[in-house]
Amino acid sequence: MMYVQLAIDSLLLGGLYALMALGLALSFGVTNILNFAHGEAIMLGAYGAFFGLTLGGIDPLLSLPALMLVGFLAGYALFRYFLKRLLTAPQVNQILLTFGLGMILNNAAAIAFTADMRSANPSYASESIRLGEAYLPMGRFIAFGVACVMAVALLLWLHRTEYGRACRAVAQNQLASTLAGIDLKNVYAVAFGISIAIGVATGVVLSWVTPVTPFMGFHLLVKAFAIIILGGIGSIGGAMAGAFLLGFLETAVAYFVPEGIGWAEGVAFAVLFLILIFRPRGIAGQAAEG
Amino acid sequence: MKTNRFAVAGVMVLLAALMLVPLNLPQMNDWLFRIATLIMLAVSWNMMASAGMISLGHSAFWGVGSYGCLVAINYLKLPFFMSFIPALLFGALIGMLLALSTGRLRGVFFAIATLALSEGLRIIGLMLPDFTGGAAGMFLRHGARPAAMVLYYSAIIAALLTVLAAWLLSITKLRYAMRAMHDNEDAAQMLGINPLFYRTLISTIAGAMAAGAGALNLWHSAYLAPDIAFSLHFAILAQIAAIIGGVHTLAGPVIGAFAIIGLSELSRTSLGIKEGYSLLIYGVMLVAAITFMPKGLYGILKARPARKPAREGLAPAGASPPNDAAQP
Repeated sequence: MMYVQLAIDSLLLGGLYALMALGLALSFGVTNILNFAHGEAIMLGAYGAFFGLTLGGIDPLLSLPALMLVGFLAGYALFRYFLKRLLTAPQVNQILLTFGLGMILNNAAAIAFTADMRSANPSYASESIRLGEAYLPMGRFIAFGVACVMAVALLLWLHRTEYGRACRAVAQNQLASTLAGIDLKNVYAVAFGISIAIGVATGVVLSWVTPVTPFMGFHLLVKAFAIIILGGIGSIGGAMAGAFLLGFLETAVAYFVPEGIGWAEGVAFAVLFLILIFRPRGIAGQAAEG
Repeated sequence: MKTNRFAVAGVMVLLAALMLVPLNLPQMNDWLFRIATLIMLAVSWNMMASAGMISLGHSAFWGVGSYGCLVAINYLKLPFFMSFIPALLFGALIGMLLALSTGRLRGVFFAIATLALSEGLRIIGLMLPDFTGGAAGMFLRHGARPAAMVLYYSAIIAALLTVLAAWLLSITKLRYAMRAMHDNEDAAQMLGINPLFYRTLISTIAGAMAAGAGALNLWHSAYLAPDIAFSLHFAILAQIAAIIGGVHTLAGPVIGAFAIIGLSELSRTSLGIKEGYSLLIYGVMLVAAITFMPKGLYGILKARPARKPAREGLAPAGASPPNDAAQP
């Protein structure tokens, strides 16, 4: 029964990780700029859901679409009018500019919202269903459901719509897609906006699963990096597999290693480092070289 | 080349002059100490960045330096000067291992690896409370601290030695190798430069430098916890100092360190800005510097005289290949 519980817990955690990694992978895959402020989109989404519930009495599931729309518009504008300068900038600027934006956002949040731990508590957050000897935590299950819906919607968007196809084309070959008449700047900004919207959605579902703090984004960001590199850059399937693998590894360490809950936090870092050293290609996809 | 030597000489003279500042103002001593350790960290960061290794986890070196020093003081009971030996060795070792293990990683992936290294070390520190005191941390052995003056002079001398070392490296053949590597490592390799060798060499030296700064800071604060040793705060300060001063130049990180400590003191004392705001201000400074002055203060200072005949004065570590400008 312990193994059933382990399977449930790692599956539910993996679903959240998958959503987190998909958002980051989308903007990186298309624009080739790694957004070190993605964790801050998650953080702001979580605060949005928290304040929507505590101040406005709006269930996070209801505020989700509105928050995602705000995230999309903010991301689109940010890229279109500011980050686009990075496309031709030297790499040190690419890395440090989004890193600096993240610093501004999380420290501003710490000043505006204080560093207290918050948590949105919709009625379903603390319920659970017994399944034989194991139990299914309702809050995490709903979060998992939202994550799955988002992931499927993103995949459909990428494969069935004009812009989604354009994004994939740009990710594959920029020059050829320009020649095919794709407006690069716009596709970049749309992809970045959607990536931020997904980040916000990740934050909304996390708002009732983990404590909400101004600096929650950083650790999530590193986990998202670990997942993308574990899965292999440029592979959505690989990222999904990586997310569930990391979810399983963390849960297993928390279960079986003495003081495992503390060590579980380090699993992502260990995985990241080992993969980068021994198999930079990840499970599938391109190498992290070059 | 000449402008550069002068810039270097100017920086050295400035640093030396600082030692002559009457060292009896406690506030002034504290500033000089912070500037000196930040110079070490920023020079170290800049050296790696100049070789194409952009570190986001410089706190890893700083932290292992602090812990190396802590081991020396509390467990081995070494005296002040001896305590730097294990600290520098730890830093050099981590630097060497980092370069060897990430040998094939470029740019952004190297940056992520350094971030993971620093955070991983922090978690290891937290999970080994017998050795580090866990989250509660550990104090230095009672009575081990030297006189404050010894500490301040040591920090200033260490900063001078760091700049000197970076300068010595920059006048050797290494500077061409480094410039080639941060522009295009594959091309550098084709020219017969062995990137792994140079990366390892630079990372080892840079690791020891940053670890030395961490060890000095431990002597200053007399207290260490994993969250402090591996806090990204110092790593961020080092990046900002190098960027604001002028990345890929020798004088840049030094100028940047003075500018940052000066600004943070100014904002704290005269504008009455609270401590919690400092990181926010640093973030704004970082973004503004990258956006509006990609060549840093040093680039602005240099831009005027260089307008006339010669642009020969490329900085040692490769100040200005054309693609260093942020944007057309």
